[in-house]
Amino acid sequence: MQPVIIERSETTMSGMDPALKPRLRRRSTFESVAWVVCSLVGLGILISVSTNPNFKWGVVAQYFTHETILRGLMLTIFLTFASMALGTLLGLGLAIMRASSIKPVAATAGVYITLFRGTPVLVQLIFWFNIAALYPNLTIGIPFTDIGTAIDVNALMAPITAALVGLTLNQAAYMAEIIRGGFSAVGKGQIEAADSLGMSGAMKMRKVIIPQAMPSIIPATGNQFIGMFKETSLVSVLGVAELLQSAQLIYARTYETIPLLIVASLWYLVMTLLLSYPQAKLEQKYSRTTSRLPRKAKKVVLTAPEGIAR
Amino acid sequence: MSTDGTIHARGIRKSFGPKTVLQNIDLDIASGEICCIIGPSGSGKSTLLRCINGLETVDQGILKVNGENFGYYETDSAYHALPPKKLAEQRTRVGMVFQQFNLFPNMTARENVMAGPVLVKGTDKKQAAKRAHELLASVGLASFGDHYPAQLSGGQQQRVAIARSLAMDPEIMLFDEPTSALDPEKVGEVLSVMQDLAKKGMTMVVVTHEMGFAREVSDSLIFMDDGFIVERGDARKVLRDPKEPRTRAFLEKVL
Repeated sequence: MQPVIIERSETTMSGMDPALKPRLRRRSTFESVAWVVCSLVGLGILISVSTNPNFKWGVVAQYFTHETILRGLMLTIFLTFASMALGTLLGLGLAIMRASSIKPVAATAGVYITLFRGTPVLVQLIFWFNIAALYPNLTIGIPFTDIGTAIDVNALMAPITAALVGLTLNQAAYMAEIIRGGFSAVGKGQIEAADSLGMSGAMKMRKVIIPQAMPSIIPATGNQFIGMFKETSLVSVLGVAELLQSAQLIYARTYETIPLLIVASLWYLVMTLLLSYPQAKLEQKYSRTTSRLPRKAKKVVLTAPEGIAR
Repeated sequence: MSTDGTIHARGIRKSFGPKTVLQNIDLDIASGEICCIIGPSGSGKSTLLRCINGLETVDQGILKVNGENFGYYETDSAYHALPPKKLAEQRTRVGMVFQQFNLFPNMTARENVMAGPVLVKGTDKKQAAKRAHELLASVGLASFGDHYPAQLSGGQQQRVAIARSLAMDPEIMLFDEPTSALDPEKVGEVLSVMQDLAKKGMTMVVVTHEMGFAREVSDSLIFMDDGFIVERGDARKVLRDPKEPRTRAFLEKVL
């Protein structure tokens, strides 16, 4: 007969079964030191921030829900959503052009993307604001006839229009690259399968390529969205009364610069955090792409017996 | 639309850059014929198949599928590429089954089978769904219509892929190593579906390593090596008694 249980000689040491002893994580000296140092530094900053009267937390609280600030916040939200929506649409168009087999079409998109990604968005915004210097009048009409109307570009390019145009055109270039990346993640076999069924180019795009590119496009778009929210602060240089400019308008009058910048920063932070939640959810949802399981697939329960080929 | 189902090729040449992958290929496949193409990797057998439904274009030679010049129209001096719409129409008459199945992962099995008729031919959805059900039943997957490809085994996916091609009512079916990516135990279920199809009189060209299938189901056999057709003939005869030493050497290794 062989012994069923191995001899437990160690049991005698502490009276504990060695097989049941917990396994403890190793704590390094560095970890303990880091805890102490970071706690001290954090505490120091907290004390300094809360006791330094120059922060004027009362002023921050007073202006946090000030009408001007809230109106600025609404404009910031509008600019973010509008330029993201328009930029994504235009970006999709550019990505499709970029993927075209017709050289001039692909090259046009390529040049656009290079220009708009290669220059700072701040410069682009100022450029669109001053476009009237290049083209003072915009004439819409039929070429070589007198029919048509002239539009004063200076009046057309109001600060908010320039802001929207600048942000949209810039965003489109970035979105085009994101969408193109998504397209190229779709396998060659998928395109061949669509081809062999006789699908047209547009059909292939709509039914095969775009749906499969979404998992890699959507999380990246969420990131762009959060980025765009903060990028809108740049349009304050055009005098558009968005969140930052609203804060600036107030402190230009009251000289309470820091408290108002804190107000603006807190709002940016709040909005970014609010946007991060759906962003994290989206990323989670689409990170499962390796399993290639579409969302709806989860609902189907495997109950039917396997069919047998006859 | 005529029901032709023939493939006719003379002197086909195809190269990728400096590398010639098909040379001097002659092919005559009759309506309802089952032809297996065998040969070592890189011999050009897949490329030949891909030329027959236009996934690759041939550089030179005559290629007639279903009695028409494939992908091109002929004038006195040249072959001119067909507009995409016309090429797509020709392709709908040639079904293709891929080694890696290539089902659309964003669609259920039924939607995959319906994709061709609904999206390309504009068939009524209800009618297409009914047909898709029949086709899935005919490959033994009647109850799997709502499953996504990721929920199916390789063998099941390949059977859906066959049903998807059949939904277009092609005259010719091409199979590019349809069982090579499958677990050994799933190979049989796909082969038996193909065998059924052969009995129904479908013209089939099958690139395969399944010598058993070639022997039992195939009418003719083509052995390719290095871009050439080395030997062709009655499938059983070639497998039993190959004429060319290269064919014999290959068969000795695989049988």
